[in-house]
Amino acid sequence: MRPRIPALLFAVALCLIALSAAAHHSFSAEFDANKPIKLQGTVTKVLWINPHTWIHILVMKPDGTTEPWEIEAGTPNTLFRLGFTRESLKSGTVINVDGYLARDGSHRANGRDLTLPDGRKLFMAGSGPAVDKDK
Amino acid sequence: MPHARTRWASVIATTAILIAVASLPQVDAQAPGTRSARIQGKPNLSGIWQAVNEANWDIQAHEARPGPPQFGALFSEPAGVGVVDGNEIPYKAEALGKKKENFANRWTQDPEAKCYMPGVPRATYQPFPFQIIQGTDTILIAYPFASASRIVHFKDVGESPADSWMGWSRARWEGDTLVVSVTNLLEDTWFDRAGNFHSDALRVTERYTPAGDNVIQYEATIEDPNVFTRPWTLRMPLYRRLEKSAQFLEFKCVPFAEELLYGHLRKPAS
Amino acid sequence: MRTIAGAVLCVLALASIEAQAPPSERRGVQTRVEGSSRAFKTPWGDPDLQGTWSNQTLTPLERPAEFANKPVLSAAEAADYEKRLLRNNDADLRNPGTRQDVNTAYNNVWWDRGNKIVADRRTSLIVDPADGKIPALTASGQARAERERQIASSNVEEHATSWLDFDVYSRCIIRSGLPRLSTGYNNNYEIVQTPGYVAIFQEQIHETRIIPLSTQPHLPGTVRQWLGDSRGHWEGDTLVVETTNFTDQARGSIFRNATKNMVLVEKWRRVDDRAIDYQFTVSDPETWTRPWTVKMPWNRIDGLVYEYACHEGNLSMEHMLEAARAAEKQPAK
Repeated sequence: MRPRIPALLFAVALCLIALSAAAHHSFSAEFDANKPIKLQGTVTKVLWINPHTWIHILVMKPDGTTEPWEIEAGTPNTLFRLGFTRESLKSGTVINVDGYLARDGSHRANGRDLTLPDGRKLFMAGSGPAVDKDK
Repeated sequence: MPHARTRWASVIATTAILIAVASLPQVDAQAPGTRSARIQGKPNLSGIWQAVNEANWDIQAHEARPGPPQFGALFSEPAGVGVVDGNEIPYKAEALGKKKENFANRWTQDPEAKCYMPGVPRATYQPFPFQIIQGTDTILIAYPFASASRIVHFKDVGESPADSWMGWSRARWEGDTLVVSVTNLLEDTWFDRAGNFHSDALRVTERYTPAGDNVIQYEATIEDPNVFTRPWTLRMPLYRRLEKSAQFLEFKCVPFAEELLYGHLRKPAS
Repeated sequence: MRTIAGAVLCVLALASIEAQAPPSERRGVQTRVEGSSRAFKTPWGDPDLQGTWSNQTLTPLERPAEFANKPVLSAAEAADYEKRLLRNNDADLRNPGTRQDVNTAYNNVWWDRGNKIVADRRTSLIVDPADGKIPALTASGQARAERERQIASSNVEEHATSWLDFDVYSRCIIRSGLPRLSTGYNNNYEIVQTPGYVAIFQEQIHETRIIPLSTQPHLPGTVRQWLGDSRGHWEGDTLVVETTNFTDQARGSIFRNATKNMVLVEKWRRVDDRAIDYQFTVSDPETWTRPWTVKMPWNRIDGLVYEYACHEGNLSMEHMLEAARAAEKQPAK
């Protein structure tokens, strides 16, 4: 399939504009763009904190042993306003992580793209508890 | 014109005016520098307030104590008669060890040293002026240390989606007393610099009762079945800062705590 | 006869006022005058700005080149532009293996960059100057901007000596000085008023701006604050706030690399139940050759504003410093 390069470049340009106009989190000081990583693991703990939610997972290695990883995600406040709560990602849930490795070599990654095994994005809008719109 | 009819007209008009004025909502016309004692029929707790006691050092009665030795008497601690009813904090036996450990390590482990938000009720008696802004269906309480703030809801806002440093505050009036139920407090705050602590099961019930224009009688009842054998209460007056120049000021202490937190990660001098 | 008629009319008039007085449980006096800000009053008679608001918007600060001579879009142009902006903001679009992809950081669900341009379809938030662009910088303004641009495009953060190499955002001191523009998420505010004060709680970073409605002078020049020192007053239905006494002690502490002598004047006016008209004018003769003014909406949000404890959870600062120390231990390539 022919990649939609012009649209992607436009997106890149705009993203860069948006990010450079304001102070920003220096993600590239924490994670390595040259070290993409794909993981699948079982959630053991979620820290619903700011500035980043941290999702702790246990990754099963090919030799059958497990390895704990910490995955950095976004601010939970946006999710809370969508109706999600700390009950929304339970221990034992299997998730896929497509992200970037921490620069310090630890078992930590940025959760650039978080999905469930069936391909749905984690925390799809509308997949959380119903929000009481009358509040 | 006959006098009787004029007189009746005056009576009707005057009565109507009196009825109408009495039925209007409590409009507190504010001349600059004046303050209304009540808003919407309730005490107006707005203002800049400060606790004047030694509770932030130790909420129990205590004698004067040294501070870190390199500062001489500069950061030593004054004695206090305590603010806890009965002067007893009813720790479970297994929790006392943690309190002692906290006390022994307090100068590096106190979350206040790290410029972490102080939680409730400690924010009330840190020795700095804080401000209550009482609105029409919400109260904001702004504390200077670490810019901690609380939104206190009268409306039904449901349950908190997660725990937080300053908790989830829901208020109601009981007569002239503001009662605030605080839940969903993170376990990471202390009650004072002496290492008194709690778990994430903590629930705090605060009561703010005005005693005249310039004093609020404050009490906070602590419930935490993980750490204490029963609920216990601390209480103190809060005093209004009366100077005309009184103003809420910033105490953004993050830059003061970075060396303590990250100093070990600084690039070594070559 | 005339005096009795007069008295009856008086009673009727007063009765009609009484009928409009609301039950004391309601927020404030609200009559059904559509679009009139005069309708929203607190019980003590100040205009009522209270509630939870967001200044999130897709409209850019400056007029983009493609709209150079077009201050306002037509409805059709606006709809098309909005769609394009939404598509370009879609963080679910990937560009794997690039610094930009790392900096996009998360799926779209975590972001709240805005879903509409401003209702009046202006092509820039800046309304003065008329070309919708920030005025020219002075020489010293250019020097400051260039210095920050060099730091931001260097990799000083990837080899940080200490936390001081990072800006206020990464250090969780403030996440944007005043005035605040729409950012990636949590663009939310809660306004609470009481006689003599307006307070604005900002979600990032959980601080309360307290605005005394007072003619007291500002703090002395020796007392600087990260969010400055504010004094407000009402002009009709508009809250006018002047803020001075900013501090320049850290990278990013002042709006757009201005100096600590910047003067900020903001105005809030309640439009209807769902919107406040907000504008600001910034002046700093050491930075911009003239003052400039921005207008943006503050729109009602139906959700709540939540605690954003930043410093307490700032694991990233530790990680970034650990990464810088680890990089030093690598053999030079």
